[in-house]
Amino acid sequence: MNENVRHTRGFDLIKPLSITTLLIVMLPLVLLPLASIFIFGTSSGLASFWRALTAPEAIFALQLSIVTSFWATVFNVFFGLFAAYVLSKYNFWGRNALIVTISLPTAIPTAVAGFALLLLWGPYGILGRYLEPYGVHIMFTAAAIILANIFVTFPLAFGVIKPVFDTMNQSLEEASATMGATRWQTFWHVTLPSLRGAILSGALLTFARSVGEFGSTILVSGNLAGRTQTAPLYIFAKFNEGQVEAANAIAIVLALFSFVIFSVLFFARDWLEAE
Amino acid sequence: MLMTETTEKNQIAVNVEGLSKKFGETVVLEDINFHVKEGETIVLLGASGSGKTTILRIIAGLETPDSGRVILHSKDVTNLPARERGVGVIFQSYALFPKMNVEHNIGYGLRLRGKAKADIKEIVNGLIELTGLEEHRKKSPSQLSGGQQQRVAIARSLAYNPEVLLFDEPFGALDAQIRTRLRREIRALLREIKVPSIFITHDQEEALELGDRIAVLNQGRLEQIGTPFDVYNKPATEYVATFLGAANLLLGIINDGKFEAEDIFLQIDADAKVRDGQSVKLVFRPEDVFLRKPENLTQNYQLLTDGFVEEVNFVGAFERVVVRLNISTRQPIIVTRPKTETTAFPLEIGQKVSVGLVRFRILPNYTLASERASRVV
Repeated sequence: MNENVRHTRGFDLIKPLSITTLLIVMLPLVLLPLASIFIFGTSSGLASFWRALTAPEAIFALQLSIVTSFWATVFNVFFGLFAAYVLSKYNFWGRNALIVTISLPTAIPTAVAGFALLLLWGPYGILGRYLEPYGVHIMFTAAAIILANIFVTFPLAFGVIKPVFDTMNQSLEEASATMGATRWQTFWHVTLPSLRGAILSGALLTFARSVGEFGSTILVSGNLAGRTQTAPLYIFAKFNEGQVEAANAIAIVLALFSFVIFSVLFFARDWLEAE
Repeated sequence: MLMTETTEKNQIAVNVEGLSKKFGETVVLEDINFHVKEGETIVLLGASGSGKTTILRIIAGLETPDSGRVILHSKDVTNLPARERGVGVIFQSYALFPKMNVEHNIGYGLRLRGKAKADIKEIVNGLIELTGLEEHRKKSPSQLSGGQQQRVAIARSLAYNPEVLLFDEPFGALDAQIRTRLRREIRALLREIKVPSIFITHDQEEALELGDRIAVLNQGRLEQIGTPFDVYNKPATEYVATFLGAANLLLGIINDGKFEAEDIFLQIDADAKVRDGQSVKLVFRPEDVFLRKPENLTQNYQLLTDGFVEEVNFVGAFERVVVRLNISTRQPIIVTRPKTETTAFPLEIGQKVSVGLVRFRILPNYTLASERASRVV
């Protein structure tokens, strides 16, 4: 829309009114809640904040969140890339159903996702019962957290990468083939470089979402402090124990983390989207 | 045996035999046969849907024919994948790799072939010089103009000594002025490098300027193949006559070795492939018509009939005139007159003129579908 088009004769009230309305609505819903984390977290002083942040269980929770989110991101980016390639390139019976299935985790409540994983991999689960006699326990471990994160963030990287595949100029691949390239060479030299922005966007989205995952993680991890307790679960546990400052310190870290990731996604979007 | 230049020139580089292709129930190509000699440029000319792009893609290995063969330098490549054919394709969108600069784009084919870095550098430098891209070598494709991108696309294909260069409507994305200039540059470049080339286009002016020979396609069939002069001045079918330039058509019959229509009698060539009593069409180009006052028509032309001037339009380098013929159908014809003519013999609307023809063609009177049938029978 061209902002310079005149719609009224005198002063145009709509612009300042619209912006003010936007800020007023956002204030109690988004801005104030975010601000309250920082205000409350530092209200007892920075020393108190630092003590809460560097408690061994807090550090463990942050590390566990980062490590599990990292591996979930690596898997989902690779698989998302692979799935986007196959579903863009090939037409086959059931293709559309597969695309819908990949996108399903977005619509499923995360608690349902965690519950489903328990039913599958738990000690009495459909598959878990066969692993139990061999001492293989997937649930209530870091592996379960990774599985839960993979499930919940499955569609994210795929959803960002596939549209780029769909709109990619087919002539590029054809040109590469006529010049003597194998499919792998074309993918590595031509297709992948054009996807770097989408891959990075997908990875950042997946990572940010994984770090903040709660609903499925609380079910599959067992929420064992110092063992399977991620940062969001730590916040929940400390709040329930009445240790609000401890909860707040980690909440600030997670909020800052998300802020940095989404700032990168926003301010680097031209580079990320550039062909 | 020493290869003489003439022998080299006559060697067949590309042979297309009996190509046919259907997409579903739609026949896209029907028994296409042609060849390209060493160093020759062939233009496949036709409207959208004529099958010219499909032929190009089949030669490149990007489509498979239902039947027929593609032979490149005596090697049957019909069943080979695109990457093993060694063709160079210049796509309509140029298809330059966006994440590589000009140098890397040009050197891509060489890197795929495992050439040494020093060799790649030498070849790339040579091609950059040949195509005049020295100032742009470090730029990415998005920083180049359409003409520059096209030159990179050509250089990139030339780098690995392709069997044949295939140009897919290379000037379609450019504006008219640049198109004309680039056409001439590409033509000069192709003459210099002597690589056999196939262009596809729907632009008849482009075809006439670029091609050593032109193949006119119509709905998947090859109507005629010949030099620009032959295809333009001796069209084999009504479609070729009307697609390649403007053409006037007049129905008549052959009678005693002459074309006859009402009071029109024209002597035809002895080698015209028509027989007495046959229904025919007289085909003549607007520029092959001369208009004079009835008393001034000289013996260099054959008199068609009289008519009167209905419209006179100035179109820059020439004048376009509509003349109503003095026959029962009052058929209008289009005449184009150069400046020398318009100055020597200015015309007015309503003026009576004699219509003379310096060149014309006689074609059997088939409808387009049965024209094809006539060639089969």
